[in-house]
Amino acid sequence: MFSNLYRQCLVEKHFVYNLFPLCKWSQCFASSQPELATESTIQAFEEPEKRSIKLEQRFIYPEFLPDPKIEWRNSIRERLERQDMLKRRSQIEIPEFYVGTIMAVTSFTPHSTSKKNRFLGICIQRKGCGLRATFVLRNIIDNLGTEVAYHLYDPTIEKIEVIRLEKRLDDELFYLRDALPEYSTFPLDMEPVILPDNTPIPVNTTQVILKPRPWVGRWERTDFKGINREHMMTLISDKMKMQIAKHQKPWEKYDLMKQYRATIPEEEQKEIFAEVYSQLHQLELGKKKSKRIRTFVKPKKSA
Amino acid sequence: MARVTPSKLLNFISPKIHLYSRVSKESCNLPIVTALGQSFQIRERRPAAPKPRFPLWFLKKERVQYNESLTVDNKNFIKEVSHDKFGPPAIISGLSTYDTPSPLKEQPLVKGEWTENTKRCGLITRKIGCYPMWDVKGRLIWSTLLQVVDNHVVSFIPSENINSERKNRKAKNPLGALLIGAESCDPQKYTKEYCGLFAGAGLPPKRFLSKFFITPNAKIQPGTPLYATHFQPGDVIDVAGVTIDRGFQGVMKRWGFKGMPKSHGVTKTHRRGGNIGGGGEKARVWPGTKMPGHMGNKRRILRGLTIWRINTKYNVLYVQGLAIPGETNSIITIFDTILPLRKKKQAPAYFPTFYPSDLDDPLPEDLYENSVHHFDAPTITFEEPK
Repeated sequence: MFSNLYRQCLVEKHFVYNLFPLCKWSQCFASSQPELATESTIQAFEEPEKRSIKLEQRFIYPEFLPDPKIEWRNSIRERLERQDMLKRRSQIEIPEFYVGTIMAVTSFTPHSTSKKNRFLGICIQRKGCGLRATFVLRNIIDNLGTEVAYHLYDPTIEKIEVIRLEKRLDDELFYLRDALPEYSTFPLDMEPVILPDNTPIPVNTTQVILKPRPWVGRWERTDFKGINREHMMTLISDKMKMQIAKHQKPWEKYDLMKQYRATIPEEEQKEIFAEVYSQLHQLELGKKKSKRIRTFVKPKKSA
Repeated sequence: MARVTPSKLLNFISPKIHLYSRVSKESCNLPIVTALGQSFQIRERRPAAPKPRFPLWFLKKERVQYNESLTVDNKNFIKEVSHDKFGPPAIISGLSTYDTPSPLKEQPLVKGEWTENTKRCGLITRKIGCYPMWDVKGRLIWSTLLQVVDNHVVSFIPSENINSERKNRKAKNPLGALLIGAESCDPQKYTKEYCGLFAGAGLPPKRFLSKFFITPNAKIQPGTPLYATHFQPGDVIDVAGVTIDRGFQGVMKRWGFKGMPKSHGVTKTHRRGGNIGGGGEKARVWPGTKMPGHMGNKRRILRGLTIWRINTKYNVLYVQGLAIPGETNSIITIFDTILPLRKKKQAPAYFPTFYPSDLDDPLPEDLYENSVHHFDAPTITFEEPK
């Protein structure tokens, strides 16, 4: 009952123990994405049209790529998983979103009196592959930091709305738990911002100011771009400052094997997206059609 | 961990004790009083690993792949011969195998009648991963996917043969056995004797073999392919597999001990088990004491798992739970449960097994248990109270 359990309001500090394993996993997965294949190398081999179709998809539909851990891979399981994902996507519109996007999820729950629940918040994590894909939304409600973890393919989710489509500087935003509350407070009745078609996703370059310690993570040892480093340094002791250098791993960016193990090879990605492309494309077209119908609203007569 | 029955326990200690003992038949945790008036206690002892025995069909399987310096023509000829014999190579339900023509040479066996004491044969499967499903009430169900990998009946061993092979058996086994093979292979990989095992059934050699005890009425003709639809969604099964090999492990990982504090003056004993025995009359290490040692790589059976869903195209069973022993891509055998309350009370849909030729229309690709939500069904809603 992962989703239902987490759907209850969780006070921030309960997450302390969960945080580290989550960080580790998603960091290696998410940070590896931009390094998958440099644009220039692919351009040399591929026609520009095909390239744009297939390579963008790994960011829009990251959960279609299987877990790169070789011991857990099985091509038939992955195929069955993708089929089930497409079946669910035919029933519900799962929009394009990223960590940092402000979203609202409406889901049915037997426990609430109205049997329906809408939660709006900023996406602070997106992880998991295939049907196991989950995302975490965060908001501050009645001065209480609240996080809700949803399974992306949970059939009790009625609607996923993207309120403000944008990215942040980092692949996960757990530091918002230790940041000032205004960084994760969003009014529940926020109006959706509609981006024109084919515009690049805007990147929000906010650098958050952290609250004084204690924190849920050792943020000074990480290199999150979205934390105001200057201010953070005023909050930590001299001993902690000395230890920063000790915990850095500057060699990891040269570790080709680590990168290889954390990613799905380009050829395989193409194979996977070639398999699901036609169905995803159909769904997208249907989405656009229904959007066009929805946007036409008869003008009301003003008195 | 099985409890030792009192009678076994007495045999284990000494036959003499029997005369003087006051062991109640219900519990073996009571003290045993010896002839000398000393009392001691034997609590639990883990059963010893079964004596390694060769299986009934034991033959040398692998052969040395020395260089036979064959010409390309010769190699092609060998390939041609094996393809003539076992059919052309093909990919059937996602697995590469041979498209073997119906190998039934003899008259097909008459199908038996199901009774309550019937024991059917099981299947050899591969654990291919885990993923979530939801039930119609929106609750999360975790399932493990087991793929039935190219299973065929290799031979039937009648009960007489089993009993004559194992002379030391105390009770005569009234059950016969079916030998099931999984994953067809190139016959050149194996020895002549091993390939001969499959000659009677007209099959190419199989990578895995497994024996299932059955009642004679559940006999199946050798050469018959077995499918995932041997079971039905909602059936309860037992699964057996070899657990993940974790090597030599300490007590914290192997037995879940708490360990000792990291600081406050504790030195050199953070993950150690602590005391393993007392003094006085029991000044020894008791049998069954939890200590460091080899963990995993043991055959374990998990009983009473429900089948939530079956994929008939790839022969995949979606089985309840995440605790099925073994790594992903390891071999698991499954069979009808023996739990008395969850055992089948009515005849299964297909007996002795599923024959596709018996059906007029092919089965749909996905068969679901009634309580499971279909992924292509609309969103689960709960009605608002009035």
